[in-house]
Amino acid sequence: MSQLIVKVVDVTMLSERAPEVISEVLRGDRSRRPRRDDVSAAGLRAALEDHVFRVFAGEQRDAPVVITAASLGAAGRTLDFGDSPVARARGILVSTAFRLLVAQVHLADPYDDALTAWRGEHPHHEVLDTLTHLDHDQLARLRADVTAHVTTLQRAIGVFPSSWRPRTSQRARQLLGGTSVCLSDVVDLVVGSTQLAVANVALVDITTSPLGPGAERVMRYHALMQTLRTSVVPLRTSIYSSATGELWSTDVDHELLMRAVEDVARVLDRWTAPLVESRVAP
Amino acid sequence: MDGPVGGIAGGPVSALVQRRLTSQNLNDLIEGAPDVVAVVGDEHRLSLTSRFRAVPSDEHRRLDAWMVEQAGRPPGPFVWSPATARRLLASNALRRRGQVDSLLDAVRDEVAEQLLRAAKGYARAGSLGHWLAGVPHPVLGLITAEAVNWATQCLECVEGIASPWRIASSDVYYDVARARTTLRGRRDVVVETPAGRVIVRIRSGQPGKSAGPGLRADLMVETLAHPEGVAPRRYLGLWPDAGLVLGVDGSMENVRAGARDFLRAAVVQRRLRLAGPPSPGRESDEVRGLVA
Repeated sequence: MSQLIVKVVDVTMLSERAPEVISEVLRGDRSRRPRRDDVSAAGLRAALEDHVFRVFAGEQRDAPVVITAASLGAAGRTLDFGDSPVARARGILVSTAFRLLVAQVHLADPYDDALTAWRGEHPHHEVLDTLTHLDHDQLARLRADVTAHVTTLQRAIGVFPSSWRPRTSQRARQLLGGTSVCLSDVVDLVVGSTQLAVANVALVDITTSPLGPGAERVMRYHALMQTLRTSVVPLRTSIYSSATGELWSTDVDHELLMRAVEDVARVLDRWTAPLVESRVAP
Repeated sequence: MDGPVGGIAGGPVSALVQRRLTSQNLNDLIEGAPDVVAVVGDEHRLSLTSRFRAVPSDEHRRLDAWMVEQAGRPPGPFVWSPATARRLLASNALRRRGQVDSLLDAVRDEVAEQLLRAAKGYARAGSLGHWLAGVPHPVLGLITAEAVNWATQCLECVEGIASPWRIASSDVYYDVARARTTLRGRRDVVVETPAGRVIVRIRSGQPGKSAGPGLRADLMVETLAHPEGVAPRRYLGLWPDAGLVLGVDGSMENVRAGARDFLRAAVVQRRLRLAGPPSPGRESDEVRGLVA
């Protein structure tokens, strides 16, 4: 059974104790790293393919069912305040600021710098329209919010040595059942190499929401997608909340990956239930 | 040696090989590449020239694998962005790798050199250096982050290759003589083996249905641009996001298929420019006439 390590970092008050930093948690105990597992990926893919075949019975869909980490994180919920346009803008700006921090860019004003960088990358994105329609108070609130989240991140991020090969916003896409299902994922931070003899890759998701039950599913999903992407099982997967300063981190093992497969299967069952019922009905 | 390009209209096309993207598979694909490859001579080049000359163009046209994959539809106007700048910066940074401690430093050095070039007035309008000189500081940071990502990803893909490899100094270009046409082939890594070279191309996203024709188009340009017209043993396309590697052999069938796809793209481009979207039947008649 994988052991969930919960790390809590004080962010609401100044403490004499130095807060634990993400980079230190990711490093962990080097002497206890397992050997690189490059054989499990095929079994996981086969398990997913089997489930997709059971659900779709070999039929090719015109448009694929797209599953993302958000699909799993919001499992069972119908309304999420994190889905509002302003919350989405906040998430994007905090994520962009995080990318700049990892690239060791000095942020003079987190909100302005993140917005400028985002606009440089996506000059016509709908989020920019959302921001132009906010009134003065809403903009001030968003600015304060983003600044608070980024400040929390700055305190927690630590330093990633270049030998760790930090890369941000790493994408993964896997098609299953031909093109019936598309698993899509973006991990905020990936460190480590898949080429070493020991498990070495750590994944970090940054969220602006407090950590809840969905966070564990998101962590598992990232680990699964990284395994399918590189055919190598990562060392650990983590999630950090810039709202509360909590960092959850867990080592990746076969059981965790199988639970991730079950998570995906559950989402597929839920989304495709009407399809299955119509096939069974006389 | 085989017949001229376009000398045979139909002909079989070698199968596209597909594997999961792992070091083991990559090494297998490199070591298992065929030793006998196509060699393109003067008659092939003349034949290709005559085909392209049959598709007149008012202006100089530039064709690449992307246009082949898009069935000849011309791309929109090119705009620099962190995503479009990352490959160039990352490739240059990877070549500096031995001189600096980290990839981040290498990318920063490369950005600094581009900015210096612009400051000295050596960067022409529209070039990467010219664009970088005008972007705000946070955007430069994001460009650096993107380039480091791309460089790291490239390194993760190829550092497990057992044979000697090097980052390609540039993409490969071939000017079709007297046809106002330049063909561009994309390549990222050149692997040198005793029996010949294998070319590796890295793309984001996932391969589509036209990934094979795209690889054959790049193979064709790589072959034509070689001083002696020798095709690479294999052309490998890596899609790290999808964890897949696709490859085409350096056979004459594949080189011919690449030439045919380029001609199709040229015909479609010409028709789009002259008379709007073509009807499928009419297009195929004309294409058949030109490539036969």
